[in-house]
Amino acid sequence: MSHPVVPSDTTTPTGGRIFHPKAAEPAPVTVVGKQAWLKNNLFSSPLNSAITLVLLALLGSFIPALADWLFISAHISGQTQDACTGDGACWVFIKVWIQPLMYGNYPDASLWRVNLSLILLGAVLSSPYWLPPKLRNKVDIMLLLAFPFMAIIILDGRLLGLEYVSTAYWGGFSLNLFLASASIILGMPLGFLWALGRRSNMPMARSICVVLIEFFRGVPVLALFFMGSVMLPLFFPEGTNVDKLLRVWIVLTLFMAGYMAEVYRGGFQAIPSGQYEASAAIGLSYWQTTLLVILPQVIKVSMPNILATSVMLFKNTTFLMIIGIFEILSTAQNALTNSNWLGGFSTEAYLFVAVIYWICCFSMSMVATRIERKLDTSHKS
Amino acid sequence: MLKQVTMAATGLVLGLSMTAQAGTLEDVQKRGSVSCGVSTGLAGFSQKDEKGKWSGIDVDVCRAVAAAVLGDSDKVQYKPLTAKERFTALQSGEVDMLSRNTTWTLTRDVSLGLNFAGVNYYDGQGFMVSKSLGVSSVNDLDGAAVCIQAGTTTELNLADYFRAHGMKYTAITFDTSDQTRSGFESGRCDVLTSDQSQLYALRIGLKKPSSAMVLPEVISKEPLGPVVRQGDDAWFNVVKWSLAALIEAEFLNVTSSTASKLAKSGTPEQQRLLGNTGDAGSKLGLDAKWAYNIVSQVGNYSEVFERNVGSGSPLKIARGLNAQWNKGGIMYSNPIR
Repeated sequence: MSHPVVPSDTTTPTGGRIFHPKAAEPAPVTVVGKQAWLKNNLFSSPLNSAITLVLLALLGSFIPALADWLFISAHISGQTQDACTGDGACWVFIKVWIQPLMYGNYPDASLWRVNLSLILLGAVLSSPYWLPPKLRNKVDIMLLLAFPFMAIIILDGRLLGLEYVSTAYWGGFSLNLFLASASIILGMPLGFLWALGRRSNMPMARSICVVLIEFFRGVPVLALFFMGSVMLPLFFPEGTNVDKLLRVWIVLTLFMAGYMAEVYRGGFQAIPSGQYEASAAIGLSYWQTTLLVILPQVIKVSMPNILATSVMLFKNTTFLMIIGIFEILSTAQNALTNSNWLGGFSTEAYLFVAVIYWICCFSMSMVATRIERKLDTSHKS
Repeated sequence: MLKQVTMAATGLVLGLSMTAQAGTLEDVQKRGSVSCGVSTGLAGFSQKDEKGKWSGIDVDVCRAVAAAVLGDSDKVQYKPLTAKERFTALQSGEVDMLSRNTTWTLTRDVSLGLNFAGVNYYDGQGFMVSKSLGVSSVNDLDGAAVCIQAGTTTELNLADYFRAHGMKYTAITFDTSDQTRSGFESGRCDVLTSDQSQLYALRIGLKKPSSAMVLPEVISKEPLGPVVRQGDDAWFNVVKWSLAALIEAEFLNVTSSTASKLAKSGTPEQQRLLGNTGDAGSKLGLDAKWAYNIVSQVGNYSEVFERNVGSGSPLKIARGLNAQWNKGGIMYSNPIR
């Protein structure tokens, strides 16, 4: 750092001294800079120094081998498992199976419909950022609630006069995304209604809501899936064939609603009763109070939990594997059992799925942190 | 608990629905496709390739039925089912038939309201050993360390067999078949036991497949076959005889390439199978060409076997028990006449 040359104090013609401020000294190296950071964080005590060295040694022995497996001796060219001969990772496997992993068996000619739905999903989720503020409140909620149905219409195709693609062909990671977003979007308002019901004074509404919430929260999602796929069909009248994917979507939505209801309940409890009294005093009805005064505050308070629950639900979509729906994880497993790909590529397959999931969940938490910071008008001192 | 509730519910609903269900054959003909429950992924039996095309020895049974009923082996809707879902899907009418490596046992046949329409693959528990061990029979395995997948009937069969023969073993259990294989590969055990069809699939995944061999003995009976709902005899007959036609075609030396020639000029038996003479088709409620369609579009049993699990596939499973009865196996079709 160069310091500006500061003229030394001079004397005015009349004899008075003129003082020139001196530039601040740089902070000592023991407090800022790389060296200080190293000392404070890695070598602050003999024990910490030892731990740092041991960890560095571990990383040093681990990273070269990992990099070698991942990149240097990995195989990427070729179309069959014969292309993978050495010790490195076999990315050929992922390359060949990438389309089913992402899109399932959706027909090639209609893949644009999946892409369109994905773009739509992105557009709807990001709409608060690009819609003019005046329209946001009304249009946004409509857009969100309409999205699942728009996506179904586009993917199914019959209503639009496009080629019909039955749900047997839907799959891959796009299916995880659609199912998660569709059930989160519908589960949130439903959960809010349940939470209201649980706080209601009407005994009937309250007990129904308590039973629903406790049932869907108390039963593992795996058991719910089994119920949706194995038990429900037995209760339908003969000949009605409700699509398996639809059944699972309903189950996921109800599961989400059960969790969200409890998240909202926590939010409700954080609202001081003065808020209710004040809105009663200015003559707002129950629904006006709830929707205009309470709900915005509840959402603000519960934001971290809402996002955590959404991430959890997104990850839960991999459970679809156990009921034979070809989402990304079961597509990977199916690929591993193909007799042309029996060479043991499970590490590559699971790593790929894990990385995809990690990227998605991590970006979700980034967005969550941003929203929280934006909403933060908090009571923190 | 859930299982008991499901069972009870199953029983209740079955009681109600048994009477209502008849005429799967008409349903299939009206719909124009066979809805067939298959496995979500089992090498050589039912597997989906990267283009979404299904293949396998179980899948070919579905295709044979579609060829017999609809004249087109591609008119199949595959419904991938897990082991837990498979019977409900059949009972509730979600699928017309199940062709999903399902072992034919008394309990399943009698108490689930199902009928097994035959056997398309005789499986059984076998052993894989490293060639360097120099073992040629299960009886040399006294004191061996055995790699095994936890929680399967395989574990029980193994214990029974070794006790019955007065031999000792150490079980090393793993959770998944992948882990079992790496356990075997890293030398934690001398032997790996599983169903034979699985052993061949596991063997390919070894770094050096040629270093291991599958022992010839089989210590349990696992006859796998297609399943239909009880109480719909017309459909049961169609599935049963479609499978029989595959096997009979091999016995009569009719292949997919020779079928059209033999239909005109073959032996009386061949001509009868292929529908040139006789009225087998109309008795089943099908086209006279039903078996011809099966053989010309799907092939005979030998072609199906070799293409999916045998010498024409990466699995290279020997015919063994699944050879024709006059060639050392037990594959036998009742006469089609």
